[in-house]
Amino acid sequence: MRDDEGLESSNQAYLRESNELSESFQKSARKRFSGASGLLFEQAMAQTRMAVCLSDPRQEDDPIVFCNQAFERLTGYDAADIVGRNCRFLQGPRTDPEQVQRIRNAIAAEEVAVVEMLNYRKDGSTFWNALHLGPIYDDEGNLRYFFGSQWDVTDIHLARSEERHAKAMAREVSHRLKNVFAVIGGIVNITGRSLNVREAAQSINSRIQALGRAYEPTLDDAFMGTIEIGQAIRSVLKPYDPAGDRITLEGGEVRSEPNAVSTIGLTLHELATNALKYGALSVPQGEVFIAWKQDHDAEGQRILNIDWKETGGPKPPENPECSGTGLSIADTLLSYSRGRLERAWEPDGLRATMTLPLSA
Amino acid sequence: MMKTDPAMTCVLVLEDEPFIAMDLGFAFEDVSVRALIAATCAEARQYLADEQIDAALLDVNLGAGATCEPIAAELEERGLPFILHTGDLDRVGEFLRRIDAPVISKPACANDVAAQLLDLIDKPAA
Repeated sequence: MRDDEGLESSNQAYLRESNELSESFQKSARKRFSGASGLLFEQAMAQTRMAVCLSDPRQEDDPIVFCNQAFERLTGYDAADIVGRNCRFLQGPRTDPEQVQRIRNAIAAEEVAVVEMLNYRKDGSTFWNALHLGPIYDDEGNLRYFFGSQWDVTDIHLARSEERHAKAMAREVSHRLKNVFAVIGGIVNITGRSLNVREAAQSINSRIQALGRAYEPTLDDAFMGTIEIGQAIRSVLKPYDPAGDRITLEGGEVRSEPNAVSTIGLTLHELATNALKYGALSVPQGEVFIAWKQDHDAEGQRILNIDWKETGGPKPPENPECSGTGLSIADTLLSYSRGRLERAWEPDGLRATMTLPLSA
Repeated sequence: MMKTDPAMTCVLVLEDEPFIAMDLGFAFEDVSVRALIAATCAEARQYLADEQIDAALLDVNLGAGATCEPIAAELEERGLPFILHTGDLDRVGEFLRRIDAPVISKPACANDVAAQLLDLIDKPAA
């Protein structure tokens, strides 16, 4: 529901407007039908863009006894075609019977109701009609008329269904992507087994899967053309901290071209793997703090800065071997994107800083 | 540690994607657990009828709109532990919420998946 907020509120604004108009109409109608201010009422009715009609429930089949010009414009019928007929002539094959029933119930109970339904114009074209209906009583409190105010909400419906469609597509793509990565994982493992290189296959697989995780959350807002880096970072690192108490992540929204995700994802994967083997994540009390932010280089170009700090890990080696195979892959990858990974062993663990240019 | 004797353990794997099924099959083989691989609910039902099964791993979406729901229902009825394995947590959200079973999101390492399922057998029923 959250994502429909914009639409909902525009819908609500419309309903509020519709309510106010209906109320004022009701008042004018009362005056008009008790004989006063007739001219003013006629003018308001003629000028409002809201389609309005009145029906007489005391006559057989509750026929429409009045409609304004906006009603004629909306439905394509002339007043002469309209007056004397029950308003069901606006319904058609795709009108939801449940909504029709709601109208019937409201009329039977003499209640105010708002119903959204598909209606048909004279030329057969359809529109989404937000129908607001309610009873009008005379001065003695007897039911005299039902008013109906119609508003064409086709645009709102269209936007809603387009948004739903886009979301359904994103979900489908995400689902398929996950399956593709799962299948790739299976193929790599099976191949590694048959070639007797299971360990190699596993390390290839863990990189592929890290890549998959990095891309996965980017699908949600793929339509924006850029992706939010924080989501990718969280998703890549999640498996290394299943309980959520070893890795602390901190950073605001930084957006980037989608292709930066592979470099970021793989570099973080290598750092995490290293920490798991030799660093802070290899001992129970070790922790990793990761902070990212957007910065600018000397030329004023946007860069991403990721700070990786391990604490509580095992004593760093005398002659720290700072580049394992994994990290040298990350170095190479970063150099192709004109990024850098600087590493330093501090007394309480590895400190690494990754910088990566972000395209404008 | 696994208390159950692996050689006596038999698991059902319902998975319609052959590569994933094969990978999982190997993962169970690695820990000497017998795994029966079904690609459809009908096959799975047959295994459930014919074999003594200790636990099951169910792929949620089985293609063409089919889900593992009937098998999950049967397992629940029999009180057998199972894990749902899916790449689409959103679409099956309602169904997943209704079923009280652990969920592993795809893609996941086959060995980890196997280990988690075997852990479930050792756990006393909740």
